[in-house]
Amino acid sequence: MLTISLKEFKNLFQSIRSIIIICILFGVTLGAAKIVSNFQGQLDQLGLGNNAYATGAMIIVLLAGPLFVLSLSHNVINQELSSRTIRFIATKTTRFNFVTGKMLGVTLFWITCLLIAFLLIIPFSKAFFFLEFAQTFIFILYFVGLSILLSTLIPKPSLTMFIGVSSAVAFTVLGFWSMATDNIFLKIFSFITPYFYYSHAEAYMAFPVLLFPIIFLAISLFVFKRRDL
Amino acid sequence: MYAVETYQLSKVYGDKKVVNEINLQVKKGSIFGFLGKNGAGKSTFINMITGLTNPTSGSYTLLPDQGSSADKLRSRIGVLPDYSTFYDDLTALGHLKYFSRILGLKVSKSHMEDLLKKVGLEDAINQKAKKFSFGMKKKLGLAQALINEPDLLFLDEPTSGVDANAILNIHEIIQDIAAQGTTIFLTSHNLDEVEKLCDEIAIMDQGTIKTQGTMAQLRHDYQSNITVHIKHSEIQADVETSLNQELKAYGSDVEVSSKHTDLVVSSEQTIAAINRLYLKKDIDIFRIEVNEPTLEEIFLSTGENKQSA
Repeated sequence: MLTISLKEFKNLFQSIRSIIIICILFGVTLGAAKIVSNFQGQLDQLGLGNNAYATGAMIIVLLAGPLFVLSLSHNVINQELSSRTIRFIATKTTRFNFVTGKMLGVTLFWITCLLIAFLLIIPFSKAFFFLEFAQTFIFILYFVGLSILLSTLIPKPSLTMFIGVSSAVAFTVLGFWSMATDNIFLKIFSFITPYFYYSHAEAYMAFPVLLFPIIFLAISLFVFKRRDL
Repeated sequence: MYAVETYQLSKVYGDKKVVNEINLQVKKGSIFGFLGKNGAGKSTFINMITGLTNPTSGSYTLLPDQGSSADKLRSRIGVLPDYSTFYDDLTALGHLKYFSRILGLKVSKSHMEDLLKKVGLEDAINQKAKKFSFGMKKKLGLAQALINEPDLLFLDEPTSGVDANAILNIHEIIQDIAAQGTTIFLTSHNLDEVEKLCDEIAIMDQGTIKTQGTMAQLRHDYQSNITVHIKHSEIQADVETSLNQELKAYGSDVEVSSKHTDLVVSSEQTIAAINRLYLKKDIDIFRIEVNEPTLEEIFLSTGENKQSA
């Protein structure tokens, strides 16, 4: 499992797309941090204080995180099915190890990216925002789980690229929209998006979101174990 | 002791039974040849027993002496799938490192390099797989199947798309590892290869095993089609005609000429009877040639293959 996760982690870091995404994430985070620092006085008056830096990073993650994760990892499982490299792996380890290893690798990649982003904020904020880091990580983990599920359910990588990107946009738009509307259908939908849980003032409300990637992983394992490779 | 045993193993896709209740035993330490035309169900059968495809019904046992731990079993099995694709960004050596780590093995770099040299990839050890030809991928596929020095090795078409020299090299490797006690389950479309390498052969058709045994047993089973060529003393036209009629009672495809007779008989005993007939008619027999059936003939005479031949 560890070998598979480390390979996935390295692959994501070596990919040009991932480097671009990391640059965007860092650049926008730093830009937001600079803008935020220009309004430091006002933010202090509003009681946001130094947390505004972390808030800036969090807004970027909430807005662009789903797109980053799903565009980069939409084919994490089905690429190996499509190229048939899975036939070598599946005869050497369990399907559980394969799927879980893949999820761990993608998670490790994103936790590293977020960690670097939050470390870059430190020179401005003079603090490491552990709670916000945990919240953004859980948010990203939701979409890592979703990408694992999509790429397990859909065998064609080209199709998951389209569905993954569409889902990312739909989740973001509908997630934010559901927070500001009374539409009953959107309200119901909001319960399965992480945005609902992040709209609450209480920080601990982000933690129930952890259940979703676990459910996504469990469904993926159930489906993958029954799949002919 | 059997290395592979299947019990009523079946696979159904929709309403089509691709593999139909197969009971098969492969003796430990043997090279087992598995034949069948395209679509016979060979690959589906191998995919089931190597864990790539879930059986619809039935069960199987691999290496029963290795215990029931699936992880331990995986570490004792090598598989070369029918279609080998590798990671473009990994070298040949990188692939072996990756696969050995997945298996939880600590394999030295020198051992991996030796293995790559053994399969004929000595010039491509550090070359990325995206530059590999089809034949090179087959060789790398064989190397990865051997990385754990398996007790049971599944080789699905190991020599297809490989040049003649490499084929001989692969044959040598197969014979070497079989000599060390590894059980080899081999499928191939090259019937000469199967005949040359395998101790036992099964022929599959339309999801079932039509025949199984050693070459000698298959030949014995095929005795219903022994081609006999008799060289004899010159005979008159009237004797030729009468002999032609009489021999039809002994076999089929009878062709009698003044100095030769050809016919197909169903058993060796018939040859003895024909010999007596010629002696009775005072015809001297100079030579009797009995053509032993090749694996190709046996294969073509089996089930659906017979119709397509």
